[in-house]
Amino acid sequence: MAAYIIRRLIQSVFTIFGVMLVTFLLFRVVPGDISANYVSAKLGKEARQAWLVNHGLDKPRISNPACRYEFWKAPFWDTQFCRHVYDCVTFQSRSYATNERLIDIIAQKAPYSLAITVPGLAMSWVLSMIVSCLVAYYRGSWIDRAGVFISVLGMCIPFLAYMIVGQWIAFQIYPPAAYGLRFKMNIYVPVLISVVAGIGSHVRFYRTIILDEVNRDYVRTAMAKGVPLPGILFQHVLKNCMLPILTDLVLAIPFLIMGVMLLENFFGIPGLGSLIVNSVSARDVPIITALTFLTALVYTLGLLVTDVLYGVFDPRIRLR
Amino acid sequence: MDAPEPTVNAADAAGRSGRSLGADAARRLSRDKAAVACFAIILVYAAIAIIAPFAYSGWKDNLDYANAVQPPSLKHWLGTDKFGRDVLQETLLGAQVSMTVGVMSNIIAVPLGMILGALAGYFGRWIDDLVVWLYTTLSSIPGIVALIAIKFAFYGKVLFAGTFLQMDLSGLAGIYIALGILSWIGTCRYVRAEVMKLRELDYVVAARAIGRGDLAILARHIMPNVLHIGIIMFSLGFVGAVMAEVILSYLGLGVGAGVSSWGSMINAARMDLVVGRWWELTAAVTAMFILVLALNIFGDRLRDALDPRLRNV
Repeated sequence: MAAYIIRRLIQSVFTIFGVMLVTFLLFRVVPGDISANYVSAKLGKEARQAWLVNHGLDKPRISNPACRYEFWKAPFWDTQFCRHVYDCVTFQSRSYATNERLIDIIAQKAPYSLAITVPGLAMSWVLSMIVSCLVAYYRGSWIDRAGVFISVLGMCIPFLAYMIVGQWIAFQIYPPAAYGLRFKMNIYVPVLISVVAGIGSHVRFYRTIILDEVNRDYVRTAMAKGVPLPGILFQHVLKNCMLPILTDLVLAIPFLIMGVMLLENFFGIPGLGSLIVNSVSARDVPIITALTFLTALVYTLGLLVTDVLYGVFDPRIRLR
Repeated sequence: MDAPEPTVNAADAAGRSGRSLGADAARRLSRDKAAVACFAIILVYAAIAIIAPFAYSGWKDNLDYANAVQPPSLKHWLGTDKFGRDVLQETLLGAQVSMTVGVMSNIIAVPLGMILGALAGYFGRWIDDLVVWLYTTLSSIPGIVALIAIKFAFYGKVLFAGTFLQMDLSGLAGIYIALGILSWIGTCRYVRAEVMKLRELDYVVAARAIGRGDLAILARHIMPNVLHIGIIMFSLGFVGAVMAEVILSYLGLGVGAGVSSWGSMINAARMDLVVGRWWELTAAVTAMFILVLALNIFGDRLRDALDPRLRNV
């Protein structure tokens, strides 16, 4: 068991390092010089150079030509990549636009995102579990067919349509509820929209898992013993379905922090999701980098925890 | 949605033994009315995507401010937009962007995933470690964030400038590439797992025993047996690409200005419902809904016909 956990830990470290590498390449190397967005060309070369120095962008990117192999000397580490890694780990980087520290920005904005996503996830999970159990219980009948048909229709409607029509409905009922946070209750409009928009694909996924389990031998045995159908479904089948369904839930956690990007942006809720959309248009590289890294970090940790728990509960997995 | 299996009588079963996987799947699909209908819809969209740009080539500059924001009428079946241009024509033109994005991004993603997956599964060891590291890294960055990030990085970049391959990465070519390098992961995972199983089968061991090279075994004996995964992932990836393009265009990161796409139509009309202008939004959403529905159902049926084990994809 210890060996399994250590192996997964090492893998996670490599993954996180990989994310650092990818974010560095994507945001520092590929876009090239973005100083023009912050320093007007009219200010001349000196102002631009001062801006670059101020943000550490005058340093060599990956390796310092002055001492390429002498890693015991300080200049070897004085590169953009090392600074990027340091910033990623400590979340100390500052926004180009406002010069605020990132950790302060996150502390200020994350509650808004969580206020949408946590109730949204909980409601959509409970609701889709109930519907998919119902649909699986009546499998083959018209209830099943209608349920699957509606959920397929639901998942084919573009998310943007839910969003726009949802806002319109909120506007019809009570106009101030449709935008911003003048009232705290306004946050439930995007929550409801995210629940309704996500339910179709959830129901379909859970139903497939439940029906896969229904055809197993132990279900036949239970039926032969004379256990009533609800007993089989809710005591035996559901317990065995929980592993894939819980993984699905854990893997949704990073999206919790990100918030529902489009919804936040559209409903004027100042969470992390709208922050990232706005930072992209403002080319605020430190914020985009750090938020991308943060989500990837939480995702990797979530995956690590699920995998270790799987290993604890299911000895077969450890051997792989 | 699961269609009942056609009852197989003895003669049919005997006939089936001689049929290849592809022929069998084609036969099952052609008997499935829903699959045929959905395939027909997809073909109609493809035809529109090819014909509309020629038929309505002047749409962009066809400004008519006297007739701006008109509700649907006999002259303009789906009304007009803020510049007096016909919404029906715009919707039909939008099919081109969605269809090409769906095809092009999967033309990049599916072969990439199949090749990497096959190499990782067949050779194992450090190649496998490298490929697995690559896809766990990429998949740990949430898809939409990664897409936005790549489009952000591509801003203003032009690839192969001056040659005939010139690609403007801030426009459509950037979407193909961004979606292509992000959506190979699923294909790679399934192909890798399948190749790991195939590698141990007797016929592969036999081919190795008579001295065929690794690459020959991969190309001649293993790839044909995982090709169906590629076809399934192509049809499933198509839906994802269409939806992703609409969201990117909605955020203003997708197609360049002047290209009509359903995403930019939704973006232009997002505040219009409140003032009672419903036609532009409805047209774009409905066009996309029908295409996605047809693709979803057809993809499901195709998967059931080719490989029912992949149902959890």
